[in-house]
Amino acid sequence: MKRSHQNRQGTVIDRRFFQNINWSLLGLVTILIFIGVVNLYSATYQAEEEQAGTIYLKQIYWVGIGCFFLLIILFFDYHLLLPIAYPLYWFSILLLLGVLLFGRSISGSQRWLSVASFSFQPSELVKICLVLALAKYFFLNEINRRYGFRDLYIPLGMALLPALLIMKQPDLGTALLLLLVCLSLFLFLGMEWKTLIISLGGTALFLPLSWFLLKDYQKKRLLIFIQPESDPLGAGYHIIQSKIAVGSGAFWGKGFLKGTQGQLRFLPEQHTDFAFSVLSEEWGFIGSLLVVTLFLLLILTILNIARQSKDRFGMVLAFGIGGIFFWQSLINMGMVVGLVPVVGVPLPFISYGGSSIMACLIGIGLLLNIHMRRFIIQS
Amino acid sequence: MSDLNLSKQEEPADIQRQFLVATAIILAVFFGLASRFWYLQIAKAAHFKKLSEHNRVRSLTIPPSRGIIFDRHGLILVNSKPSFSLYVIPDDVQNWEFLKEQLCKLLDLDRELVEERLIQKKANSIYPIPIRFNMSREEVGLVETYKYLIPGIYLEVSPQRNYPLGPVAPHVIGYLGEITPSQLKSGQYPDGRMGDFIGQWGLEKQWQADLGGKKGGRFLEVNVLGQEIQELGIRESVTGNNLVTTLDWEIQKVAQEALNNKAGAVAVLDPRTGEVLAMHSSPAFDPSSFYRKLSGREWKTLLSDPLKPFQNRVIQGQYPPGSTYKMITALGGLEEKVITPETQFYCNGAFPFGNRVFHCWRKGGHGMVNLHKAIVQSCDVYFYNVGNRLGVDRLARYAQAFGLGKPTEIALFPEKGGLIPTSLWKLNRYKSPWHPGETLSLAIGQGYNLTTPLQMAAMTAAIANGGTLFKPYLVKRLVAPQGTVLKEFQHQAMSSASVDPKHLRLIQEAMAGVVNEGGGTGGAARLPGIIAAGKTGTAQVVSLGKRGGRDHAWFVAFAPLESPQIAMAVLMEHGGHGGDAAAPVARKIFEAYFHLPPRGSGVAANKDEAQPSEQAGNRD
Repeated sequence: MKRSHQNRQGTVIDRRFFQNINWSLLGLVTILIFIGVVNLYSATYQAEEEQAGTIYLKQIYWVGIGCFFLLIILFFDYHLLLPIAYPLYWFSILLLLGVLLFGRSISGSQRWLSVASFSFQPSELVKICLVLALAKYFFLNEINRRYGFRDLYIPLGMALLPALLIMKQPDLGTALLLLLVCLSLFLFLGMEWKTLIISLGGTALFLPLSWFLLKDYQKKRLLIFIQPESDPLGAGYHIIQSKIAVGSGAFWGKGFLKGTQGQLRFLPEQHTDFAFSVLSEEWGFIGSLLVVTLFLLLILTILNIARQSKDRFGMVLAFGIGGIFFWQSLINMGMVVGLVPVVGVPLPFISYGGSSIMACLIGIGLLLNIHMRRFIIQS
Repeated sequence: MSDLNLSKQEEPADIQRQFLVATAIILAVFFGLASRFWYLQIAKAAHFKKLSEHNRVRSLTIPPSRGIIFDRHGLILVNSKPSFSLYVIPDDVQNWEFLKEQLCKLLDLDRELVEERLIQKKANSIYPIPIRFNMSREEVGLVETYKYLIPGIYLEVSPQRNYPLGPVAPHVIGYLGEITPSQLKSGQYPDGRMGDFIGQWGLEKQWQADLGGKKGGRFLEVNVLGQEIQELGIRESVTGNNLVTTLDWEIQKVAQEALNNKAGAVAVLDPRTGEVLAMHSSPAFDPSSFYRKLSGREWKTLLSDPLKPFQNRVIQGQYPPGSTYKMITALGGLEEKVITPETQFYCNGAFPFGNRVFHCWRKGGHGMVNLHKAIVQSCDVYFYNVGNRLGVDRLARYAQAFGLGKPTEIALFPEKGGLIPTSLWKLNRYKSPWHPGETLSLAIGQGYNLTTPLQMAAMTAAIANGGTLFKPYLVKRLVAPQGTVLKEFQHQAMSSASVDPKHLRLIQEAMAGVVNEGGGTGGAARLPGIIAAGKTGTAQVVSLGKRGGRDHAWFVAFAPLESPQIAMAVLMEHGGHGGDAAAPVARKIFEAYFHLPPRGSGVAANKDEAQPSEQAGNRD
């Protein structure tokens, strides 16, 4: 059954909405951002490059821009996104294609590597756009039974398309993330047992095949993950050094700015993907546990927003955004402690990265929006 | 799909129950994550603490070998030889005062310089800071002997540029210099580090990415003093690719010797392709001098502005073309039908125009002059007449068709484009209309006209080959170190001047007359057995309102007349007259190219023949 959503659109800003702001979500995010910036200050404290010293300032700047978007999102009923969900999705795909084409034309020349860092921006945006598109799809296709293949091949394709494009970049981490978010959503909404079993079997078959699709360095990383000590200074270096950083932090940590592993010494990419190991080293088990708990609370809060949302669109959207946060924090922290292969996924709010921060805050903006408007009665 | 609805479906998932399941999964996963932290940070804390304290792993760079630059016949113009550099690793330093003191004493270094290099140190960085490059054998010996007493210093062997044939075309090849902070920041050198030497000029800079290769690394375990205990891993560096240039060393050498450090420029092209056979700007610099010393400010001022002291006159020097421009005026006149080859003007040495009188270089005049004689004897009055009939804008069209007034787009920076004025240009620039008298100066290559020696060489090549303007190029191919050809560069025609071949032929013959006929101004370039063609030029020097030193001497030439293989432009700054100062340089280059015996040592008959025309060509 298809519901009309036309009559529920509205941009009215009601005082009640602001009384309904989810303060615990906002509070958790504020604390995480604060921890992230303080940690970045330490992570780049000893950086050799001159510009590294200002990375935490840049992060604050990005947070500012992200908050601006967040505020804008609050003013509009999230249902306004329904008609533009698919166009937004295609727009983000177009951006990915653009990056791919542009990237290829400059790849012959080494000096343009710096441009490549911008190329990840669309892939951050695509996370949100994909979840939006999936939310719309499941909103339009609500059925009175579990989902089977015939219902899922379209949403699966929606996720596969950007995932493949991103894998081409190549960014294995984000590609996997999209698929994981999409599959968690399927499982959550309920799949036919038959479908579930067949797809699990299919994945088991596909995995060995996908080995051939991986780039050499990606294969290496996976092999190294299985046995990091086999190559202590090549690809295993990241894992070993990160574990040493985390482990040597012990219970109380080495203290702020006192880390010896991070700070551009042994840890590579210590302000992006491995920012959390700097934190673990300096703040110890206490600090790590605090951040892990904060992320747990964040994700449970998001799950609660999904549960309380007043319609299926809001629920799927909130669940999807929650999925992004869940998988990203799990993969990143798992990577830092050597539980997950090094695939290069930033930790929300903690890792440095303008596009990552923006995408996260846009996601938070949507969640607050869904929560604010949960009581509106359908007319 | 309706039949599906009939079959028995599973009940839809109970969403509330799914939320409970999801919560349970999330709690379990995060519990697992927290346990891992507990395991690493509490259970195994002592183990990792020990590892971290003994984590004295050093990652040192293995500099790659830079690619070799060859001439067109495979002669090595530039290769690399090992050189030693001194670095300090801050984390290994135990006493900074002691280190600085000892270094200054040991190597006789300037204390200020050492302080300056170490200013960016971060107390316990493990990244080496370069102190001194290209150390002498004695210095290396001293450091090797005492390095264990001064913890924190270490020597690195890195390849340094070597010029086995001496400095060859330094402005083309360019030089290496230490990477600058702004270059590091620019992101163009992703694995650049302080102390790296990268191409800062010329082909070395242009082809940095290819020549540079890829850095390798050595991972060492070191003790508290920073001494190597064992090598843990090594990643070999990747040697840079080699460049085969279009330069011909023999011709280049002759050009360099002929210019003899006097201010001037030579560009030699193959008119069939646009390949640059030789390019030299004089006076030149010695590229190897960049390694010799690293004396603070001197070094910095050199690098901070590498353009000014090292101008490549061939592509950056802009000069009025003088009479070498007359081919353009003549072609324009013929094509636009304002003259025929037979049209004659009378030259009495002066050409009154408006309230001014324009003079011919020969005070007594040339008498009746037709096209051929006008070029051979470089009669100014003839060209005043042609220019006057053509007008500035039609004239500019022909100059532009032969590549003047815009960069040749040779892949070498920074190239200047020169200037070919039009009436519109003047209106924009000076807000005043074109004065017809100014066209007369243009017609003989003076006035606003500005050209670079490379443009003039390309123009000459186009006249020689029948009107095709090739883009001059310097690199024939890019070759991998093991010999595989990675890229082969082909000649590229920029444009083809659509001029009547008969007209072009007349110009070529007249240029041959310049060199080979009695009364021709370019007799100094005459060759035995081969018909060379050329044109002299003298560019008036007017600087800062007063008359500058002597005029610039030009000579453009190609040979042999029937099937041209070589074309060139020679410019001698303040050299005086083209026939005297520039044409002999061209002749030496021709002699080298055609393997002719140098004049003077040659057959007596040549000498006799040459004598009268040289006297005749004392002025153009």
